[in-house]
Amino acid sequence: MTASQIRGLPVVTVQGGEDVAEVRDVIYSPEAGRLVGVTLNKRGFLAGRSREVLPAEAIHAVGQHAVMVLDESSLAAPEDAPDDVAHPAMERNVLGDDVLTEGGASLGKVADLVLLVGSSGEVVGYQIDKAGGGRGYIPLPAQLSVSGVALVVPNITEEFVQDDLVGLGAAVDEFRARLGLP
Amino acid sequence: MDTIGWLILVVIVVVVAAVAFVVIRRRRRGGGVIATKDKG
Repeated sequence: MTASQIRGLPVVTVQGGEDVAEVRDVIYSPEAGRLVGVTLNKRGFLAGRSREVLPAEAIHAVGQHAVMVLDESSLAAPEDAPDDVAHPAMERNVLGDDVLTEGGASLGKVADLVLLVGSSGEVVGYQIDKAGGGRGYIPLPAQLSVSGVALVVPNITEEFVQDDLVGLGAAVDEFRARLGLP
Repeated sequence: MDTIGWLILVVIVVVVAAVAFVVIRRRRRGGGVIATKDKG
């Protein structure tokens, strides 16, 4: 599933079935290729940001319609949560980033982040709006660097832009092999 | 102002209120996909 599908999902407790928060930001580590945590909004139609955050290790499951936690104590105060989650670098929002090869060619713009369903938050790639039109997918190990402005990828990434998620799965392994990554 | 004028005014107020409501809600809900900073 994609990060945008997770954003806005309710956070529900397994033990009480209570709707305790809503996902606001999805925070991931490009280096580790994993979901690190999420920031939260309060529940309510015009409610804003919640002070509490949800580290990835406290997430019981991420489903199509809700993020599940064991109970309300799974939500962490900022002082008890990892710094990356408690104080996310908001300037490093990758949505809309230009995807540039190290040779200076633009492949498009980042539209979303793709995560493995049912795993413990493994990130597999990016969904992009291609420069020539249409949607594409590039594998996560492709990035050399990422900021809030641009995602820089090796030149060979252009060969690995996939048109669907099925192709992305195979592309991740092949890409790693080509780059000599584990 | 005649009846039509009042009706038009009410419609405009309702539309402006609805648009403002959607904009405010979207801004308060916020949200993005944030990359952590490199440690190395």
